Amino acid sequence: MTKRIIINPVTRISGFMEIDAIIDNDTIVDAKTQGLLFRGFEKMLMGRNPFDAVYFTQRICGICSTAHSMASTLALEDAMGIAVSEQGKYLRDIIHACEFLQNHIRHFYQYTIPDFVKLPAGNPLFVTNHKDFRLSKPKNDIIVQHYFDSLEVSRSAHEMLAILGGKAPHNHGIFIGGITTQATMEKISKIRSILKKIKQFIYEKMIPDAYTIANYYQEYYKIGQGYGNLLSFGCFNKYIKLGTLYVDPLVYSNGTIKKLIAEEITENINHSWYRAQSDTYTPFETLPNPDIKKEDAYSWVKAPRYKDLPYEVGPLARMWLCGEYRNGISAMDRTLARVLEAKKIVEIMITLLNNLIPGVSVQQTYSIPISANGSGLIDTTRGALGHWIKIDNSVISFYQIITPSAWNLSTKASNNLPGPAEKALIGTHINNCNNPVELGRIIRSFDPCVSCATHVYSQGNLIKTLQLMP
Amino acid sequence: MNKKTGNCPNFSMRQKTASVLVNKVIDKINKENLKKSNLIWLELTGCSGNIISLLDGADPNFKDLISQMVNFIYNNSLMAAEGEAAIRRLFSVADDDYILAVEGAVTTKDNGIYNIIGNWRGKPVTAYEAIKQLGEKASYVIAVGTCASDGGISAAKPNPAECVGIQSILNKKVIKLPGCPCNPDWFMGTLAYIMLCGEPELDDKARPLMFYSTLIHDICPRRPYFEKGIFASKLGEKTCMFKLGCRGPVTRVDCPITKWNHRVNWPIGDDSPCIGCAQFGFPDKMKPFISYNTTREESK
Amino acid sequence: MDEYKIVIKMFNNQKSKINDTIACLYISSKYHPPKNLIKHLGKKILNIKLLQIIQNTTPNFPMFTQAELTTYNGKNGNPAYIAINGVVYDVTNEATWAAATHFGLSAGKDLTNAFASCHAGQPILNKLKIVGKMADE
Repeated sequence: MTKRIIINPVTRISGFMEIDAIIDNDTIVDAKTQGLLFRGFEKMLMGRNPFDAVYFTQRICGICSTAHSMASTLALEDAMGIAVSEQGKYLRDIIHACEFLQNHIRHFYQYTIPDFVKLPAGNPLFVTNHKDFRLSKPKNDIIVQHYFDSLEVSRSAHEMLAILGGKAPHNHGIFIGGITTQATMEKISKIRSILKKIKQFIYEKMIPDAYTIANYYQEYYKIGQGYGNLLSFGCFNKYIKLGTLYVDPLVYSNGTIKKLIAEEITENINHSWYRAQSDTYTPFETLPNPDIKKEDAYSWVKAPRYKDLPYEVGPLARMWLCGEYRNGISAMDRTLARVLEAKKIVEIMITLLNNLIPGVSVQQTYSIPISANGSGLIDTTRGALGHWIKIDNSVISFYQIITPSAWNLSTKASNNLPGPAEKALIGTHINNCNNPVELGRIIRSFDPCVSCATHVYSQGNLIKTLQLMP
Repeated sequence: MNKKTGNCPNFSMRQKTASVLVNKVIDKINKENLKKSNLIWLELTGCSGNIISLLDGADPNFKDLISQMVNFIYNNSLMAAEGEAAIRRLFSVADDDYILAVEGAVTTKDNGIYNIIGNWRGKPVTAYEAIKQLGEKASYVIAVGTCASDGGISAAKPNPAECVGIQSILNKKVIKLPGCPCNPDWFMGTLAYIMLCGEPELDDKARPLMFYSTLIHDICPRRPYFEKGIFASKLGEKTCMFKLGCRGPVTRVDCPITKWNHRVNWPIGDDSPCIGCAQFGFPDKMKPFISYNTTREESK
Repeated sequence: MDEYKIVIKMFNNQKSKINDTIACLYISSKYHPPKNLIKHLGKKILNIKLLQIIQNTTPNFPMFTQAELTTYNGKNGNPAYIAINGVVYDVTNEATWAAATHFGLSAGKDLTNAFASCHAGQPILNKLKIVGKMADE
């Protein structure tokens, strides 16, 4: 019997999303992931002062704003021919690392845990629709306690960020040349003391909690596997003195790891509500125009592709590509890799802090080129993020953003291959079609950020009347 | 970090505004002189950064809010329920008393279909419809952040989704807490005040005077540099950032006092100019954010 | 007329400054005959030199065309000037004009209409330095 399941909203993600799945014999045979929020940042950026892109693009996303400040800064530096100093790179990578810690701790405890752990009854926030909670009571209670403990830890990650970045979300620190301010001894030691506590929490609570859950939900090592194509733009890498502390731009497919060739990145709008001269284009070529009436399209999420194939991005991709995690590719492996990545990030931060020279000022006076192009490719909390900028008459004339969640939540492209998250859903056995808890768990393993997938849109049909209240 | 402002009795008192109010609410609830309020937090067209900022609240903090102060009925980012079950919870309180907090602007284009917040009885619910329904019935409506207050960055030119602040579509008074994001103190302090005494004193733009009465420029620790005409020529300098484009002289909010993230810093403390994120008209009326070619000579 | 009252108030506050005197003169000559101004100011201006200036209806005052005004955009060494109701003001170091911009407006332009829609009736021009007047084109 064929059944259709729609989950909307998919809660505990950033932004709005729907899962639309077709179930046959209790198994998902087709799935669409759709974002339900349209903003249109690229259009807003046209005509603005190029420097403004750094603070402006952060407003794409409240949970990973730092990611966009990184990518826009890199794109501007590329366009302006500015090489960041080694100290400048350490400083802004420290800010970026703080965002990883904030995001991963919140994603694990506030977004993932409620799928697997029964949170206290009596609080309306914790009411669930399913009953698939398997942990023994003592173990459940411990993780519940950590859910609340984590609130202070994740917010302290943003506190570290603000020490160098002014505030969070939407920092003021990351900018061309590194960061705006200087890291005084006082600031460095304050960051160190907060980081010590975060490290302890990750090592002693977060990682054991993740393995506890993995132990009780072992079938999730087999669920949500997807293509197994992994991609990273690289991050915490190519330091002059320190080399690569984490991962370089690499791709993994069919069992082999190769260098990423940026020129092979394209976007496809074959199944998206957009029109352009060509359905497939490189990032600098085209900013397609929306077209609600386009036939054969089913979503406003575009489809980023590498060598015409869908690729998964994010912590698992990075941990796999750098060789630190090779257990497998699945919903559970994604969650474990993210938690283990938090530990890796702590180690990287400590190395960077150890190499900081206190009080160094990295800022210059910059002038805007009359005409220039630049790209900023960086792996960030959720995966590979790219900003592409064109400057003409000293203002932004073109801006393209391809977010990690666009890779993961991408639509089918011309060759009809589903996007990575869609592929991960397809083939999944659903235990109880009335409470299909598997779908949300698989989708959340990708940590989607629909706020970031700025181009996305709903079903495409005009909704004439909305029956809202009984 | 700033010793000068840290010692000012006015500053240190104003830093405690939110926590004093929240503690009073919790105290009253514990003594059963006050009931927990139902709180609905809707995320609309925006970045969902205000809920993240709320999680960053340290004193008062988020845990106290959800466990001791309110029944937190609905929030897309945090609630355990999903799908229609979540939306059912959202509308289950419609006949009770509740306070509605909204972040994000409302997209009005094509009947609002650019932002669907969920499915109810098999049909998509637009943010526009949800805010209309829930807004008119709420006992208080709080616009959290610049997008909900005034459209904000979601309404930046050319405003592709035709976004507006929520007041534009509601007949009910909206208390506005602009800021990108809204500082957790401003939200929790306002919420606590409402629970204790009802609507706080507002200015002509519906902003609570307790947080929005002071021009940043007037209490800026770098003000003496402005008066003497000592202006920073690049980021990272410790003087007045007027020539770089600082919007402190047109932005009215407690930012220099409350600061951010456990009060460790704020944009000017980070040697970068205020970009007027809490001012109406942000971002279009606050641009450019950073300029290096402003004329620096003393005009005669 | 608002401008007229502003001029008188400004004059009373800052009559020692010659620039302000010129401003009084200019605006009054545009909107009112000088005699009218003298009558309003009454005995407060007994300064003969001042009277002489006021009675001189063609003050020595820089004139700006619209095209000339655009160069005073506050960038790259040019001062930031704006024109309102025919008077050119200097906003180079005016706090609300950071980076020679103000609520989406930029310097080097005639902002008469924008001023009227945002600041009508507000006596805020009197703190700006007057640097010239717009030529009739």
